[in-house]
Amino acid sequence: MNSDHGARFRIALVIGGAVMAYGIWGVLDDARATHPGSLFVYVVGADLVHDLVIAPVVCIVGWLLTRVVPEPWRSPARAAVLISAIAVVVGWPSLRGYGRARVPDNASVQPLDYSTALGTVLAVVWLGTAVWATVRVTRRRSNEDAGNA
Amino acid sequence: MVRAAIDVIEKTAHAVERRFTSKLHDERTAALLGMGLGITFTICFVTGLWSHLVQTPPSWFSRPPRPAGLYRVTQGLHIATGIAMIPILLAKLWVVYPKLFAWPPFKSAAVAVERLALLPLIGGGLFLAFSGLANVNLWYPWPFGFKEAHYWAAWITIGALIVHVGAKWTVTRSHVARRVPPDAGSGDRRAFLGTVAAAVSVVTVATVGQTVGPLRKLALLAPRRPDVGPQGFPVNRTARAARVTVEDGGATYRLTVTGRVARELSFSRAELTGMDLHQARLPIACVQGWSASANWRGVRVRDLLAMAGAAEGASVRIVSLQESGAFRSSVLQPDETRDGDTLLALEVNGEPLHIDHGYPLRLIGPNRPGVLQTKWVTGLVVE
Repeated sequence: MNSDHGARFRIALVIGGAVMAYGIWGVLDDARATHPGSLFVYVVGADLVHDLVIAPVVCIVGWLLTRVVPEPWRSPARAAVLISAIAVVVGWPSLRGYGRARVPDNASVQPLDYSTALGTVLAVVWLGTAVWATVRVTRRRSNEDAGNA
Repeated sequence: MVRAAIDVIEKTAHAVERRFTSKLHDERTAALLGMGLGITFTICFVTGLWSHLVQTPPSWFSRPPRPAGLYRVTQGLHIATGIAMIPILLAKLWVVYPKLFAWPPFKSAAVAVERLALLPLIGGGLFLAFSGLANVNLWYPWPFGFKEAHYWAAWITIGALIVHVGAKWTVTRSHVARRVPPDAGSGDRRAFLGTVAAAVSVVTVATVGQTVGPLRKLALLAPRRPDVGPQGFPVNRTARAARVTVEDGGATYRLTVTGRVARELSFSRAELTGMDLHQARLPIACVQGWSASANWRGVRVRDLLAMAGAAEGASVRIVSLQESGAFRSSVLQPDETRDGDTLLALEVNGEPLHIDHGYPLRLIGPNRPGVLQTKWVTGLVVE
């Protein structure tokens, strides 16, 4: 793991442990608001959802990309997929209109047509990565030509 | 039985670990992304703590009314940094994912403790990012109170981060300071880190316009536009949600000044309109990360207090017509009541307030979180 378990780690463990203990005390002390049981489920659930769902899916998509897309297109393709996925994650609550559904009379919440908005963001992302890919491919070719000459 | 089960787990772990062939699952990439996370998480923690302090000030803390736009900057930074952290966090978790399958899972007690601390670190980090993103979108898919859960989870997570930094300080420093020479995989790494940086840029540009006005047209993924709403800026709680009607601001409406005063006062809205009005340009800065500046016109709180003969530098509780809710009243601290820009506003941008912006009368003061800019004000109680 290449970790340092010397004095620095022990000091960090004492301080970090105390800070964590303060946080846990806070959760338990304010139990009426924090619902410790369900908060625990959400935090540990986040670990599990990441390790058992998100990460495997990302690895499989990445593996498929390396199978399907040859270099020098691979890095731009990976970038386009990764940035698109992040944009969808960030835009998801707006796209689904969760906030607006909760306060239907408040027209200033999620005021846009988010399918168009997200579509625009994705178009810009794919356009940008397409330009990058073209530059990469052109550069490789001219390098190869220079090598052959 | 148990031994056989462990054998199966061990074989599976080795088999899974061998499948991670990308050169990017390496120490250097993890160290560089870890640096990014350390910085962004610290910014979020400090600005979040600041927000908590100004929203629920303990007895020893006095909220500074100046600079007037401070909360707008700190909270805008909190939300923008939190959103920027999402791609860095996910990238980092992908880079170190193979380590989950390391066998044996720990070789010493120290490693066991270090790995145990990853549970609150990763779970807490993901929870903070998810709950924060959901909250700015007014989405609450959980039973607990957002504010309390997000606040206390942040303490637990930063505690786990301190432990983690303690274990990883040396190796991270050696990579960041390039004492370890970059290896052959550095071309791939540059493309990968460049991709993460591009993802950070995309989500930042697509959301930060909710508080940085000139970029508002680019805020395609933000849940708010600073120029969209009644009278050209957003609303958090509508009059309908607060059960306040236009009639409440009509003939029966009174603003009273009571509490520790020499003489109690009571005004109709017409009487307030006829008073010496003061204008101030101040931002509404919401905890959810949007902000918008407006020109407010109204009565200075300190003038009303002087008329009532209240002691100089008193604290004042501002009470709303709204009958329930955590923010139906708020307190002005002494430094705030002294400030000449702390107003009970009758108008915004040259028009009488829209009911959703607090008609007939709302509080607006410099450097106060939006939820403390109490709307539909009907009483000042001097404490």
